[in-house]
Amino acid sequence: MQIFKQPHFKFMKYKYIAFAFSGIIIISGIINITKGKGLTGGIDFTGGTLVQIRFKNPYPIADLRQAFRDAELGSPRLQRLEEEGEREYIIRTTSPELETEQDQEAHEIMGNRIVDVLTKGEDRSALARGLADLNNIDTDELTSILLPSFPENTQEIASMIINLRESDDFKGIIENYDQLLEAGIDQKVVDFLKEKTFMGSLSVKRRESVGPQVGSELKTRATQATIWALIGMLIYIGLRFKFAYGVSAILTLAHDVLFTLSIFSFTNREINLPVIAAVLTIVGYSLNDTIVIFDRVRDNIKAMRKHHFEDILNTSLNQTLSRTVITSGTTFLTVFALFVFGGEVINDFAFTMIIGVIIGTYSSIYQSCPLLFFWNKIFKPKKGMGK
Amino acid sequence: MKKNLRWKVILVLIVIGLAIFLAYPPGEKIHLGLDLEGGMHLVLEVITEDALSIETDQEILRLEEELKKKKLEYKIVAKEGISRFSIQEINPAQEREISDLLDDNFRDWNYSVTGSTVSVSLKPAAVNYLKDLSVKQAQETIQNRVDELGLAEPTIQRQGTGNRIIVELPGVENPDRIKNIIKTTALLEWRLVLGGPAPDQETLLRDLGGEIPPDQEVLKGDPERTEGGYYLVSKVAPVTGQDLINARRSVDEWNNPAVLFTLNAEAGRRFYKFTSDNLNKPLSIILDGKIQEVATIRDRIPDRGVIHGTFTVEQAEDLALILRAGPLPATVKYLEERSIGPSLGKDSIRKGLSSMVIALILVIVFMVFYYRLSGFNAVAALTLNILIIMGILGYLGENAVLTLPGIAGIILTIGMAVDANVLVFERIREELSSGKNVWSSIASGFSRAFRTILDANVTTIIAAIFLFQFGTGPIRGFAVTLIIGITASMFTAVFVSRLIFDLTQSRKKKREKLSI
Repeated sequence: MQIFKQPHFKFMKYKYIAFAFSGIIIISGIINITKGKGLTGGIDFTGGTLVQIRFKNPYPIADLRQAFRDAELGSPRLQRLEEEGEREYIIRTTSPELETEQDQEAHEIMGNRIVDVLTKGEDRSALARGLADLNNIDTDELTSILLPSFPENTQEIASMIINLRESDDFKGIIENYDQLLEAGIDQKVVDFLKEKTFMGSLSVKRRESVGPQVGSELKTRATQATIWALIGMLIYIGLRFKFAYGVSAILTLAHDVLFTLSIFSFTNREINLPVIAAVLTIVGYSLNDTIVIFDRVRDNIKAMRKHHFEDILNTSLNQTLSRTVITSGTTFLTVFALFVFGGEVINDFAFTMIIGVIIGTYSSIYQSCPLLFFWNKIFKPKKGMGK
Repeated sequence: MKKNLRWKVILVLIVIGLAIFLAYPPGEKIHLGLDLEGGMHLVLEVITEDALSIETDQEILRLEEELKKKKLEYKIVAKEGISRFSIQEINPAQEREISDLLDDNFRDWNYSVTGSTVSVSLKPAAVNYLKDLSVKQAQETIQNRVDELGLAEPTIQRQGTGNRIIVELPGVENPDRIKNIIKTTALLEWRLVLGGPAPDQETLLRDLGGEIPPDQEVLKGDPERTEGGYYLVSKVAPVTGQDLINARRSVDEWNNPAVLFTLNAEAGRRFYKFTSDNLNKPLSIILDGKIQEVATIRDRIPDRGVIHGTFTVEQAEDLALILRAGPLPATVKYLEERSIGPSLGKDSIRKGLSSMVIALILVIVFMVFYYRLSGFNAVAALTLNILIIMGILGYLGENAVLTLPGIAGIILTIGMAVDANVLVFERIREELSSGKNVWSSIASGFSRAFRTILDANVTTIIAAIFLFQFGTGPIRGFAVTLIIGITASMFTAVFVSRLIFDLTQSRKKKREKLSI
């Protein structure tokens, strides 16, 4: 089967529209970044704290906000995990401005306070009575609690209970003791646990805290990675192409980065390390599309000597169209699967890849060749565009 | 079969066998990153100035003793900074003797005399040595504590030659507990209590006219262990945590959790004499500058004793563990923490793998639908590619852990690796439609597409290499799988795919149609 049988799309006809479209997005993006909302740096770069918490009982987002307001913790960014109802949230705060050396661990303290504020009073009083929180203890602790009363295979019972808690069924929180019974834990053990433990109201599933110093280092490293990768690609372009093609490829690449950042500035997403990784991958990906098309252009310049340059470009785009669409298609399918099924942790990365694949494909058709066209028109290279 | 085809087939079979051998069983051979296995990644900074300051304090004490012993006059030895102090108001006639004393016994120190003041500062070489030593000691202490915890495969590394220590602990279930254990300085001291408890410092010092006597200091009771309040305690500690040879969790006479300690012989003698001299006086146990317990000395204590307090079993266990492992030479601060609970790690594995399977199915369906039988060829190449990634990950083991972004890298490879096949197949189609026969279409399809495939892969690999160079843990995982996958696609999509065409088409030489 073939999607395009001998396609003859007049891509070049839309070059002004494409320039205008990209121009509007990028300019409004730049305005938004510099004068408006700006880009939100993730805690990787700004320093700060991320806590992912699962609650035993649903905790409405408004109550969560109120709890932070009451504790004078400002307004951390709250993200509810849709698939978990109102039971799981990701909470992010950035580091406050530091005034003294002492504040170096502010991100740590902030993380502790967030957890503290959300811990229910009943948990605290149970802890004060000397009970252990079954939703937060580890195998060692549970073993030492069980040991006096169940000296035989204590370790096994303890790790069975903890493994149960961490299984996909419970996801870190056991709601009540009946669930332990249902899962096949011995009645005697459960009765004993009822006396010595309680089921805490929350469990911290992920915690990331980055100090301001490390944050700025990570920023430097991400910047270095980006700059070096771009330099590497420029060198490759330089080796591979004549000047005109090289310049067009570089402009296309700049277009992709700016376009992606512009889109980001209009979303609520943060720029973090995985996003930078995705952007760089996309740059490589888009460049490779552009190279495939330019290779064709070069071949066709020899084959179609008498044709107008614009026709050559159109023909080349049409000849490579199947490949462009299919490769983008398969890559899109895979990153789409990752976006839909990959879960929260990888979601920013997948999102960036998705918009990146679309932008990369669009730009290699609607930006790279028109740029080449204008270069040819303005500078009229004497030796022609062929190699 | 042609001879060179046979060798190619054997090569491919060897690659398949090797990949399976290296990756099987995947649970053992492929190491998971902390984001999938669950665990914590900590970056600590050792505040080396602390160690310098402690050293300076000790040297001041030593100097004062020496000065007294030699009957040299001075008013006070004052600390001027973390590694500087001055001897004030010396007798100018004794300047020579003081110089000799400093030259002989305080070789790490520079000094200069102005009038009746001697300014003493630690030599830069000694400063560097002490800082370096304190980081090494901290690393060792943390290693001891982690070893005591009995965690599997911990790594504790110093970052270059700086002040940072990176701690990676897979499979941690309760990060807060571990963080406390690692961070506690655990400087344990026994000191006499000379006043208190009082609700605030003023009440405490009322009888003393608001002045703290020079050989005493004010400390707070640890709110978690005592009633709180302020105490006046002696500055000297006859025994400290350094003198311990063992500590373990036990119970006191009321069956409450407590920590039992044993001192070394020399400290035992010191403690015996000290307790004998101070019978019926209150003694405090101080941990990191906070009073844990105050008890009256009722008996002479030799080398054994008990620390009471309102401990839970676990807290007593952890305190004993920390005391066994020894104190940190300086305070440490957490610069970075990333901890992932086991349930989230499992969740990520499940989601990562299911998106991988779904992506694979989508691509397979598409390729077979679009390229018919040749699509199967691409699928075979793709499958081998994934196998090779797994094999190399298995071979690299701990050096290339599989992370969630790493799985994303494999997923991306699935999408991108078929690109090479697509380039070839599209070329073959073009050649076929220009009227060439199947054989020459295949041959020129592969040869004409090769340059483009190379180009396409180079650009992606350039990005991945710099990501690897500058990235941290999970991102490196992404770079690794992407580099392996893309490189392997050169072999699978070009070499193996061509071989499959050669094998399937060779038997029907006159075949005119290709299912593509």
